[in-house]
Amino acid sequence: MPEGTLCNKLPINTKEELLTLLADKSGKKYYEEMNSLEVNVPALKALLDKTCKSRTRTWLEICSHCGMCADSCFFYLANHKDPRQVPSYKIQTTLGEMVRKNGNVDNAFMQMVMDTAWGKCTCCNRCGMYCPFGIDMGVMFSYLRGICFSQGFVPWEMKIGSGMHRVYRAQMDVTSEDWVDTCEWMAEENEEDWPGLQIPVDKENADIIYTVNAREPKHYPEDVAHAAILFHLAGENWTVPSQGWEETSLAMFAGDWEGCRLQVQGVYDAMERLKPKRMVVTECGHAYRATVIEGPYWAGLKSGKTPVPSFHYVEWVAEALRTGKLKIDPSKKIKEPVTYQDSCNYIRNAGLKDCAREIMSYIAEDFREMLPNKEHNFCCGGGGGLNGIGRYREQRNIGLKVKRDQILATGAKLVITPCHNCWDAIRDMEEVYHIGIRWSFLKPLLLQMVVVPDHLKPEE
Amino acid sequence: MFEKILFATTGTPICDNAAHVAFDIAKKYHSKIYTFHVLGLPSRGFSQYVVDARTGEEECYDQDYVSWVREELQNTYDKYLSDCKDYEIESVAGIPHTEILRKARQKSVDLIVMGAHSRQEETGATRYRGAVGTNMQKVARGARCPVLIVSRPCTTCLWYFSNIVFGTDFSKSSFSAFLFAYKLAREIGSKLYIFHSLDLSHVHAGKVISQEDIEVKIQEARQKIEKLYVPHMADYDNYEIGIWEGIPYVEILKFSRAKNADLIVMAHHTKEVDADQAILGSTVEQVVLRASCPVASVNHPDKVSG
Repeated sequence: MPEGTLCNKLPINTKEELLTLLADKSGKKYYEEMNSLEVNVPALKALLDKTCKSRTRTWLEICSHCGMCADSCFFYLANHKDPRQVPSYKIQTTLGEMVRKNGNVDNAFMQMVMDTAWGKCTCCNRCGMYCPFGIDMGVMFSYLRGICFSQGFVPWEMKIGSGMHRVYRAQMDVTSEDWVDTCEWMAEENEEDWPGLQIPVDKENADIIYTVNAREPKHYPEDVAHAAILFHLAGENWTVPSQGWEETSLAMFAGDWEGCRLQVQGVYDAMERLKPKRMVVTECGHAYRATVIEGPYWAGLKSGKTPVPSFHYVEWVAEALRTGKLKIDPSKKIKEPVTYQDSCNYIRNAGLKDCAREIMSYIAEDFREMLPNKEHNFCCGGGGGLNGIGRYREQRNIGLKVKRDQILATGAKLVITPCHNCWDAIRDMEEVYHIGIRWSFLKPLLLQMVVVPDHLKPEE
Repeated sequence: MFEKILFATTGTPICDNAAHVAFDIAKKYHSKIYTFHVLGLPSRGFSQYVVDARTGEEECYDQDYVSWVREELQNTYDKYLSDCKDYEIESVAGIPHTEILRKARQKSVDLIVMGAHSRQEETGATRYRGAVGTNMQKVARGARCPVLIVSRPCTTCLWYFSNIVFGTDFSKSSFSAFLFAYKLAREIGSKLYIFHSLDLSHVHAGKVISQEDIEVKIQEARQKIEKLYVPHMADYDNYEIGIWEGIPYVEILKFSRAKNADLIVMAHHTKEVDADQAILGSTVEQVVLRASCPVASVNHPDKVSG
């Protein structure tokens, strides 16, 4: 059975394999090899038999092609209502066809499936809300990605991403030493301005264990500092784990189910080891979905819940503002029109819309909702891993138009984006379309307006 | 004094003046010099793409590309490197000020040398948290060691350094700057000028100060200098105190010219790091942009006390 040296059915498990794959500029050789990658039909059949259960089969069966899902999909809207972008069409021609043929498919079909599963769907699950039968194409595409991954038909960056998790237990090459060192560095750098500031590592029985997105220590360590300062101001008893600190899961985007399990297991182990009262994750949408919503099932936790109660950063901020742990200086509230990007992963798919509104009521004088909003909001355009995949850059940029027009319609020039993917997509949107907007996480904005108690001010 | 120097460069002609000074100092003090270039800004989510800092083009960040950039740097600074005994060239992708500070901390360097700003060659890469242009400010503020900023050709730098001007506003960080200026002057036998400018910029807001008041304040400043700094210099007497009144950055520039200074030492402790305000936001930045000699910014005692 022809297998490429780079493009094959084996996941990445070592640093060497990772480096070899990375050295293949833009995945040129990888995608060439993909053209001759043979489909393992018996394995595909077996996988469908084992994992394609009644819910999925029923969904595929009962779809009446009514087209109610069409207008729910931002890809459909951004592509001039191209019928090939209708969610039900997309899933029927891929997973539907695969199931009907009982896995008897060829290389060209699998490449088409891959290009659809990653290039035409961000698994934002919006279509599922509009289907009269409640058929969730996003859930099925997530499942389909897993099938593609098992057969080696996965975008180059996604294979790297899942490999990073397997090798580093992080989406980027950040080791535990790098992480702990970054925490020490940030504490040092801010100790003069914030006397008593600490970033406690591996402290047992803390009230909060804080976990992050690996991009923070890698590229924006100040985000870790901002989190520390806000916890410090709120008087929280908190800690970060030296292992199991990374919450994100490119393995989830890649459909690497085993990688998903390995990743969340590390985080749950940290919870077991340090016994915090609860966990708070940084401003990242898919990290929350992976670790809090889906993770327990990957890890086989019968309760369907994380070992300790887990919260998204917006939940913590809303609580801190509500209870007065953090106080906003009224004169420093955001005066200009400002809008909020509802992340699919923690708003639509986890119901945290009210936290976002509550926060805005404390910090903004002129909050403007996008239309539609809350659980009906559109994906930023870069979710599901799409931001990072070079092969679908053009499709991604076209898809951004829907979000662009939503933002422009609010009249706001500042977009609050408490999600790394949304933040990236909106940043890229500005680069592509030049609409003159700014975008920000919550932390830096809060730091500008929070009241600093006298005893926490530096001496001058 | 400078065992390890980090020369942070864009790798473009805008850093030529800084390169000249950095390698000269390394040569004089037999320092190990790290030539460090942040080659591009991470982009496209978690992907392997970076926006190259020099061209603004999208590039694939891998070992190949990094070695190519290193080779380019080697060629660019070849004329200096041939004189260096101990050097390393490194390049990474990231947000420039973050990576410069990370490297400085990792290698525990004694001095960072960099150009003042890269605004003249702004590329698409700058559309990123307003990163470029405030790098100098962020590095100067965050670094635990002195940061030497070189924005123009140094016309007075003959042999690093003969006349050092230390400008003070009597802040806590200014004391770190003083320690550095004094130690350097003492070690290399240069003349140290301790300078303070009485800030009269508020006069424009309608407040009038009489000549008598000015003279009283000048006297007070002199006493402050004698109390704060002079006792720390033991028997060192090759210093002079200068107090002029006016707009601080103008006065320090005039004073430095008058004294033929080849180094100005100041603390850079403005809290404001707003991207739009930063570059022209404070005295030290005005001095950096206008001075004809290098300006050292020292804010922390770590590398200068003891």
